[in-house]
Amino acid sequence: MVDIHSCENITDEQLVELSLSNSDNFLCLSKRYEDKLLRYIIRISKFSREDALDVLQEVLIKTYYNLNGFDPELKFSSWIYRIAHNEAVSAIRKKSVRPTVYMEVEDMSKFSDAFDMTKDIDNSLDRKVIDEALSKLDEKYREVLILRFLDEKEYVEIADILKKPISTVGNLILRGKKLFKEEYEKLIIKN
Amino acid sequence: MENKNISQIVQERIKEEGIKPISRKVFSIKRVAFWVIVFSSLLVGAFTFSLALSSLLNNDWDLYNKFGLNFVFKTLPYFWLLSLALFTILGEYYYRKTLLGHRRGIFVILGIYVVFTSVFGLTFYLVGVSNFTEKYLEEGPTVYRNILLNRHEVWSHPDDGLLSGKITRIAPDVLEIIDPNGFVWIVDTSSAVTRGKTEIEIGERIKIIGDKTDNNSFDADELRPWIGMNLLMR
Repeated sequence: MVDIHSCENITDEQLVELSLSNSDNFLCLSKRYEDKLLRYIIRISKFSREDALDVLQEVLIKTYYNLNGFDPELKFSSWIYRIAHNEAVSAIRKKSVRPTVYMEVEDMSKFSDAFDMTKDIDNSLDRKVIDEALSKLDEKYREVLILRFLDEKEYVEIADILKKPISTVGNLILRGKKLFKEEYEKLIIKN
Repeated sequence: MENKNISQIVQERIKEEGIKPISRKVFSIKRVAFWVIVFSSLLVGAFTFSLALSSLLNNDWDLYNKFGLNFVFKTLPYFWLLSLALFTILGEYYYRKTLLGHRRGIFVILGIYVVFTSVFGLTFYLVGVSNFTEKYLEEGPTVYRNILLNRHEVWSHPDDGLLSGKITRIAPDVLEIIDPNGFVWIVDTSSAVTRGKTEIEIGERIKIIGDKTDNNSFDADELRPWIGMNLLMR
């Protein structure tokens, strides 16, 4: 078994192989992704931390169960994010709630940089405005904006996670940004 | 349940429930199966393309002036064109299910599919695959023949001046033919024009334009080959 403290220098792909030969090594992989995936699940579902952890547990079990299905032609992170995305969407449907967006303080700066809204953020505009503007967007725009600007994924990674053509992802981001700005400005005026 | 413990909890569940990863073979079989479907639909699509192309090129377009647009519509190879569309959609659907298939847009995949189907289909046509298949189908059961090769149905209307059949006897200015429904016809060819590569030989199938003069007699104006490059005849 690989020591949990020494697995930092091992690639995801190597850890997959090591996990297949000894299930104890899977701990390194799950430790590596648990925080990122938990944040992602909360962002797209706005579940409570407790509910999101339940989803995350299923994501990690499914990841281990399907580990032989991972193909190194894809990035491992894209593959595990895809499992997380599908599991979260499935959980949202089961709960029959409209997903809204939860943003942490650090997310605000990422988002404000991407949308050139630094000035507004510095003026301590309620982060609920951004939250609300994002939540008003159609799911297809919201999910690409979260992956692009909060999880900082490349277009090709987003395409692999959502199983959509790269060109479609590009168009969704472009259109999503425009729609977000419109919603954001409307809310600013309203407030 | 705390975040710091989630990986350990998962690890314990894996051990307690005896969870094992699905065999690599299952995923390999699935991947190969998708590619087999993609390539099979490409080949079958190319095959149907060659038959549609053959039907279109050998269609008697020049008869539009005589029999109208309805005649042209009746002779279009609907079965093959529909099959071509279905196999293209099937191929596109399964291509998108391959590992990286989702990265390309639908129109890019369809475009690639159309190019490959056309190239392979044209090759099949040029090497005679469509010709061979049509001849094989012509000897098959009537029900399939009428669906697959609508030429039979279109050319079985002696009352409208369209007749076809196999030559069973040859005499000066007279042919005896047996039509697809098994009726024997005596055809007067004294004033008939022979078009294209029409072969007047016993056992050959031909198309005839003219007038029905009796229950089993037909006065021919034109003799045409059953399958031929009618586009090049004009």
